[in-house]
Amino acid sequence: MDIFLQQLVNGLSLGGTYALLAIGLAIIYSIMGLINFAHGDLMTLTGYAMIGVVALGLPFPVAILCGLVAATLAAMAMERIAFRPLRGASGASMLLSSLAVSTVLHIAFQVLISARPQALPFPPMFSGAMDLGFARIGNIQAISIVVAVLALIVVNAILYRLPLGIAIRAAAQDFDATRVMGVQANRLISLAFGLSGVLAGIAGVLWIAQRGSVDPALGFNPVIKAFIAVTLGGLGSLQGAVLGGLFLGLLEVFLRAYLPEDTLPYREAVALTLVVFVLLFRPQGFMGKSEAVR
Amino acid sequence: MTKNGLFGALALTTALTSAAGIAAAEDTLKLGYIGGLTGYLAPYDQPSLAGVEVAVDEINKAGGIGGTMPIELIVRDMRSETAQAFVVAQELVDEGIDVLITPCDVDPSIAAGQVAQAAEVPAVTSCASTPTLPGVVGDYMFSNYPADNLQAAVLAQYATEQGYKTAYVLLSPETPYTERLPEYFMVAFEAMGGKILGVTEYSMGQQDFSAEVTKISGLDALPDVIMTAAYEPDFPAFLTQLRNAGIDTPVLGSDGIDSPTTLGLGPIAEGVVFTNAGYADEGSDLAAFYDAFETFHGSAAESAFTATGYDIVKVIAQAVQDAGSTDGPAIRDAWDAVKDVPGATGTITFAGGNRVPLRAVALNKVTGGELDHVGTFVPDAASVPGPDEGDH
Repeated sequence: MDIFLQQLVNGLSLGGTYALLAIGLAIIYSIMGLINFAHGDLMTLTGYAMIGVVALGLPFPVAILCGLVAATLAAMAMERIAFRPLRGASGASMLLSSLAVSTVLHIAFQVLISARPQALPFPPMFSGAMDLGFARIGNIQAISIVVAVLALIVVNAILYRLPLGIAIRAAAQDFDATRVMGVQANRLISLAFGLSGVLAGIAGVLWIAQRGSVDPALGFNPVIKAFIAVTLGGLGSLQGAVLGGLFLGLLEVFLRAYLPEDTLPYREAVALTLVVFVLLFRPQGFMGKSEAVR
Repeated sequence: MTKNGLFGALALTTALTSAAGIAAAEDTLKLGYIGGLTGYLAPYDQPSLAGVEVAVDEINKAGGIGGTMPIELIVRDMRSETAQAFVVAQELVDEGIDVLITPCDVDPSIAAGQVAQAAEVPAVTSCASTPTLPGVVGDYMFSNYPADNLQAAVLAQYATEQGYKTAYVLLSPETPYTERLPEYFMVAFEAMGGKILGVTEYSMGQQDFSAEVTKISGLDALPDVIMTAAYEPDFPAFLTQLRNAGIDTPVLGSDGIDSPTTLGLGPIAEGVVFTNAGYADEGSDLAAFYDAFETFHGSAAESAFTATGYDIVKVIAQAVQDAGSTDGPAIRDAWDAVKDVPGATGTITFAGGNRVPLRAVALNKVTGGELDHVGTFVPDAASVPGPDEGDH
């Protein structure tokens, strides 16, 4: 078994999850100029919804479905309550609003559910590993990679084939012109949030399967990683978000795998320094448009 | 749990303050409690506080310490932030507390302990287990929980008895607990003839352990045992990914994973062995305490941290009774000399221990979703690594 290929698989699996989150962030950013820091809390919500459904004794696939529905509805509710009243406000105002939503959700999870992590055991099909000869892939890693690829293909199809997707891409280029063409802004933005919610929900399921438990702060770390991925990929570029997510996942895994033990404490610093270097030479990110402000 | 603990504490404080209104102020022991009731310490400080409440209620129902001095419990949440621990410690000292209980981690306990030290108020950490903590803060700081080097010695002893020859260690340098406990284990395990195949580091809250798991599976030969002091959410994540990669090497952990989350992991946690302060065998004092706990709180105790919380108050009560006053220096001197105080987890002795208690360590094994009692040990002094050994 080749350790390098093994770590490559590890990196792709982590990067795929980052990519799912990043593309959700990028969809919202491209339309509204908002970086939604409450995006990660949708993952947490997915987890709690699944725990609730499992506790009711319903089958696991139903729990996953309910988790995704909860994330989708919560994303749309978030838009209605916290972002619609601020439509057209400066990016900073909306950013603060999203941080407020995130904080309110954290506290609500702590007070109403528990400050303590809640275990969420996954069925046996998620555990175990397959030996492919060149690498040993954990079932959950294989599922992560396949689901991430499928989700990205579906999102691509939605964005390039369906009227909704075409409207989203048009709005990303010029929101006012799109409205003049007769697209309803409220409906479009609400659906875009719904789509980002589904993606956050899927990322949440994959994340929790690896983690075994759900706690109130679960979404904080991944949303920061997704933000880095979106910035690396080029703010607002959907393909860039995917590239940024994969790049970051691979970078993190390879640094943890191949830095000498003495320098391991600096792995995060090294990773972020490399990100800074990329941005020094390509301030607009991998796929960003060269003029940063429209 | 959160609601019960907080409302319980509030109700208790109110009831006690009104009771204290009748008695003269110096007839009450003001006991300050600082804990991370929210945030990463909540899994430990919430049960710890719930245990403190049981002891305070029991003592007050009997008329107070020595039958005459009721305890007034004043609770503050430091939100698992070290700076906040300092702020609320100052608040409590200004309110005139006589004894302070500090959070379940070293750094906030040092912050709060320094405030108490300066005011000559005896302080004790609920469950921070770094053996050097009382020495770092000063002569008014006590610890309560079985120390890291004690737990590590028991784990190394167990590993050796199981015939494990090689071990792999996962540690995080971010807190003394997650770094030093595994280091003590390495010292003790090697002293008993074991071999450490490798050590790797993780970040707290890391989530993805695939690189670390691949390092382990890529070793020339798998280790006989893997040891870590990681706790939730890192421990469930590491264990889940280790087992999902098909590695079924036994895993040893410490009291940080004494939490319902570990049992909630299902088959993945099967066979995990970890240390804590006590196991409730039928008919034991601990089982009796758990019954009393359930009567008081209306819900079963979630972990042995409830019992160690209860024990602190019993030790404080003994020290205050011996001192015969609520005077800080007098309580401190009496505390430093208490012997064989009967607690829920056994007897606790401070005399001759440099403010670190001598008490038993229990070994638990996850078996069929339940905890199984491997044994309770007081390791012989020769096998316990010194507080400064193994530091890198």
